[in-house]
Formats: sequence, structure tokens, C-alpha cells
Amino acid sequence: MKFTNRQFGELEFDEDHVVTFQGGLIGFENHRKFLIVDDEGSEPFRWLVSLEDGNLSFPLLDPGLLLPGYAVDAATGGGKTVFVIASLRPGVESSTVNLRSPVVIDNATRSARQVVLDDEGLPLQFPLVPSAAPAAGR
Amino acid sequence: MLILSRKAEEEIRLGENITVKVLSIHNGQVKLGIEAPRDVRVVRGELYAEIGQANLEASHADRDAAVKAAAGLIKPREKK
Repeated sequence: MKFTNRQFGELEFDEDHVVTFQGGLIGFENHRKFLIVDDEGSEPFRWLVSLEDGNLSFPLLDPGLLLPGYAVDAATGGGKTVFVIASLRPGVESSTVNLRSPVVIDNATRSARQVVLDDEGLPLQFPLVPSAAPAAGR
Repeated sequence: MLILSRKAEEEIRLGENITVKVLSIHNGQVKLGIEAPRDVRVVRGELYAEIGQANLEASHADRDAAVKAAAGLIKPREKK
């Protein structure tokens, strides 16, 4: 199968690689079919690319890269892949990831959900890099 | 919008398998107990809106920004 995305061009993929969000992503409930795209130049980011809107893609990160202890109840028992969604702003210092509502993908069925974790201490905007600037002056 | 009056301990059933129970009412605050299947997302309304906003912002990311962020992401951490 083929789909053309504005940023990544023509993507060719097998149907069993399609990731299905039954309930969509929050705020994007009408988008159900996505593909996880690996893009060498922007590693370690990966991309959640809509197969219904060629303009829509979300940068993902493995939360283990930022927080080794980050755990998601919905992913216990194995067979699941967890990603956090990144908001990239001009300058990496102001870019963040959403730790409160990660994406959980079932590796076998390719069904996915954006879960909302109960822990209110998990920020929606967690800095991508530790803010070095304020500490440096002290 | 359907409007229902309920007292403490009373319930509302939504479809086959969702129950919303009024547990207590104190000082203008209502405590609700919600039973729903695991695949039904239960979220406070304002949090839902905030997550939608975060998703919307994330959807604007372009590849170039990710390439730059990736470089910044790796370097500061290697120094430490």
C-alpha cells in the first residue's frame, strides 16, 4: 500500500503495519489509521503519520530515553510499545514531551490508544532537555 | 443535553456497561464513581482539552525541527 505525506513523501507499507487507534488521538478523534515511520535524519524521534491526512504527523520518543523509570500500567505484561508525543518548538530547550498521556501500541494487533495516566504529577509539558541555563549562573 | 437530577448514592447508566454513581456531595463538590470498560477513556474535561491542545501543537512539528531537536537532545546528555 502507498500513502503520500507532505513531509516524508511517498510511503510504501504492508497493511499489517498499520496502527489503528479505535478512539483516535485526543483532539483528533476522526483519525484512526497511522503508520510509525522511522526517519534516519531525525532519530531518535520516530513519527506517527496519519494515513488519512497527508499533512498530519506527530513526533514520538521512546520515554526510556528521557526517564528510564517511566512506566505505564496499560503496558504491563509486555507485548506493548510506549511512546510519548513531542511538541517541538524553536530551540530544543523549549521543546517538551507529554508524559501524562502516552501512546500505547499492542505489538501483535497493532491496535493503539492514547491513554491518560492517573498520576497528576506527570507533566503534559516535560522539557526535552534538562534546563541548564538557570543553573549555570549559580 | 439531557439533564437529570440525582442524589448521593444514586446512579446513571450509560449504555450497557458504563455506570456513573454520585458518591457524595459536600460544599459544592460532587464526588463521582465511574465504572467503565478499560477501553473507555475517562478524563476530567479540562485535562482532555489540555491534552488535545498538546496534540495539536505536536502535530505542527516539522522534520527539520526534529533534526535540530535530536542533535540538542543527544549532546547535552552526553556531557553529563
